[in-house]
Amino acid sequence: MATSKKVITRDEWEKKLNAVKLRKEDMNTLVMNFLVTEGFFLFPYGETAEIDLATITDRMAVKKAVQNGNVEDAIEKVNDLNPEILDTNPELFFHLQQQRLIELIRQGKTEEALEFAQEELAPRGEENQAFLQELEKTVALLVFEDASNCPVKDLLDISHRLKTASEVNAAILTSQSHEKDSSLNPKLPSLLKMLIWAQNQLDEKAVYPHINDLSTGQLQNPSE
Amino acid sequence: MPTSSSSSSSFSSAASSSGNRQADVFSRLASSDPEVKLKALREVKNQIIGNRTKKLSFLKLGAVPAIASALSDSECNSILVQSAAALGSFACGFEAGVQAVLDAGVFPLLLRLLTSSDEKVVDAGARSLRMIFQSNQAPKYDFLQEKNMKFLFSLLNSENENVSGLGASIIAHACGTTVQQQVLCDAGVLEKLVILLDGSLSQREACLESLATVLKNNPEAVSRFVGLEAGRYLSSVTELTKDRYPRTRLLSCLCLVVIYNTSPSYFLNMGTKSSLVTTLLELLNDHGQSGDDAALGLSSLIAEKEDLQKLAYEANAIKNIVDILKTGSELHPKRLQGLFLSLAELCSKLEDCRCSFLSLEMLDLLVNALRHKNADVRTAACICFRNAARSVKNLSAGRFTNDHVMLPLVQLLHDPSSSVEVAVLGALSNIVLDFSSPKSTFIEYGGIKQLIELSKSMDPNARCSALRALRNLMFLADNKRKELFYSEVKAQGFVSLISDPEPTVQEQALALLRNLVDGCINSIEFVFDEDGLILDTVGKQLRKSPQAHMAIQGMYVLTNVASGTELHKEAVMQQLFPQPQAESNNFMLKFLQSHESQLRSATVWTIINLISPSSPGAHDRHVKLRDEGIIPQLKNMVNDACLDVKIRIRTVLSQSMSFGDN
Repeated sequence: MATSKKVITRDEWEKKLNAVKLRKEDMNTLVMNFLVTEGFFLFPYGETAEIDLATITDRMAVKKAVQNGNVEDAIEKVNDLNPEILDTNPELFFHLQQQRLIELIRQGKTEEALEFAQEELAPRGEENQAFLQELEKTVALLVFEDASNCPVKDLLDISHRLKTASEVNAAILTSQSHEKDSSLNPKLPSLLKMLIWAQNQLDEKAVYPHINDLSTGQLQNPSE
Repeated sequence: MPTSSSSSSSFSSAASSSGNRQADVFSRLASSDPEVKLKALREVKNQIIGNRTKKLSFLKLGAVPAIASALSDSECNSILVQSAAALGSFACGFEAGVQAVLDAGVFPLLLRLLTSSDEKVVDAGARSLRMIFQSNQAPKYDFLQEKNMKFLFSLLNSENENVSGLGASIIAHACGTTVQQQVLCDAGVLEKLVILLDGSLSQREACLESLATVLKNNPEAVSRFVGLEAGRYLSSVTELTKDRYPRTRLLSCLCLVVIYNTSPSYFLNMGTKSSLVTTLLELLNDHGQSGDDAALGLSSLIAEKEDLQKLAYEANAIKNIVDILKTGSELHPKRLQGLFLSLAELCSKLEDCRCSFLSLEMLDLLVNALRHKNADVRTAACICFRNAARSVKNLSAGRFTNDHVMLPLVQLLHDPSSSVEVAVLGALSNIVLDFSSPKSTFIEYGGIKQLIELSKSMDPNARCSALRALRNLMFLADNKRKELFYSEVKAQGFVSLISDPEPTVQEQALALLRNLVDGCINSIEFVFDEDGLILDTVGKQLRKSPQAHMAIQGMYVLTNVASGTELHKEAVMQQLFPQPQAESNNFMLKFLQSHESQLRSATVWTIINLISPSSPGAHDRHVKLRDEGIIPQLKNMVNDACLDVKIRIRTVLSQSMSFGDN
């Protein structure tokens, strides 16, 4: 088929690609940025990063504490990180207290749980009517002999811990958010999208080797 | 780094109550051992953050002064951080806490922390100061003093986001007057603030809040802001109305509302206006403070602006707001006030809105709001009633004149709050105009007596509004109603009303009198009661060079009286040309030369009635008017700019001709 598009061979293309200079530091930052915002715990990759690692490790420590059921510890860590977060997020604070109660029930510490519900959770319901429904659900756990088989047993599920952990993580991220400062927005996915877009644009003008599989990054000849 | 908290160990001692635990922590605060003290401070901090109930109980124990001592006495950075954080938490959204913190002399202690070499200490100090400045109780910041301005700018220039945010917060909460706005702008505050727009979330939000305060009602400041980098920052703020964080969207909307209300010319684009309205409507659904603020913001935006009210109506505002009000959950008074005011604005000019609103079974909700414990909510509900009652269709359908609505409204005439009084008078003024109902529930509830009471209020607004309601009540009223009213006021009462020190009150009193004497000829007799006391007073007031609005009503009173019998007409002549006249005090001539066409018109009407040919003394009165220069003056006015005046003058002149005048 006759085409007005320019044809670029595999060799030419690879030559062009090799001519592009990338800094290793940029690549490191990109990868680290991705891993960190996605929540993988990691050791710092030298002094190349612009990211404030202290805050990231703190945030990860909070998330981990909740995931392990150490809610009180998590609360203390959040308050060390930024005392405003829980003071200005009544819903989050309620969910953390709720999780504490769930953990006490899970550990079979029924008396302590009752006292905690009275002293710590009930006032939340008084302060804010919106929480009453969830409060009642949680307290219902105390009523049943076998909490793991009652209608509200979902609360005891590990997934509930993860939900709370994720909520607290989001709140910390928000408080630290720097829109223009790119360190906390994952750039890797956007770059890959841009690659695909650029290929689509170039397709209208040229025939050249594509990257069709993003996970391997292999170049495929135009005819293949 | 201590990780476990002592509260879990105290749980195990089943006998100890929470009160004991708190007392225990409290006593450890005073310990001389810094380790113990630090631990206690952390404990208190962790217990009170997010927990209003605990804040209150620790407050009662006297924790704040104890922590303040720790703050002032210690050099150890950790203790400084923990005590500052605890104090900041006491002040966070908790007015009693703010007061306690300020009373304990914490403010200067926190200021000192800002110069620490330890970043964490600076952060803690800045955060806590910001909490204090969110409250109305924060110390007044005197921008006019140079050292204060310098300090403020040092905050704004800081690299530390908490510190620059503090600078913006101080401006947001302390800048109130035009002078302050001017001084800040001249010192270059706008240029500093806009930098924060590109910063972190908290910096952006602090910036938006402070911009709104500096720009409010200040066209010069607005033009300066818009001029920065050729409108770049106005665009930035507009962009932020689409931000993913609701609070940012809200604050940027509120900023734009301020700019729009101050200098609407920057918003010629319908698209921006429309998106501002819809964004605020969306934000109404936010459960937190943003939703509360959005409601008030919306009412401020659409106030007096018919085009925006239409936009909002088309965006389904009424249904959305009514749905929120009907959810049944306890809404914050600020939100209720904002929602009712928004509804009121929507109903202010557009009949479609009123019908739509009234068709949604809202009256019960509105009536309940009349009984709300918060005065602002009651006021807003009354204003809503007032505007909805402008719908003649619904008014004559008796929607507002049944007991269910009337009784609570009338009860509010006794409300302790003056703003509620004025607002309910406004509502009643409109409601009593319902001509379709022959008997009036309002009068049955003793409404007239109450209005007369209020016409003697200390508050001139209340007097004015009460008289306006009475004026409407007397409009086209039957004799029975007029007699009932007059029997409560009597001549002397009227004299006081007409002689009120406030011109606006005088005007309403005269308008009321005008309606009273209008209609059947017997009504005119009221002004002759007690030897013509009322008529004399009217004449006296007219001779005193009154303001145009007052004079108009006064002349209409004379017009109505002059429409009666021969005796009545002569009495009017007496008032116009009293004998003996000390000086050439011909107020009629003055009125005929007034810029106010209505005044000219009313005066001409009086003349028409005085010389109407059917009455015997018309000829003599005509001579008198001619001799006093009135008729010649009218001849000069044959081409009066106002059509109505022109036509009346023609009538007079043709009457004049019939007397064989040359």
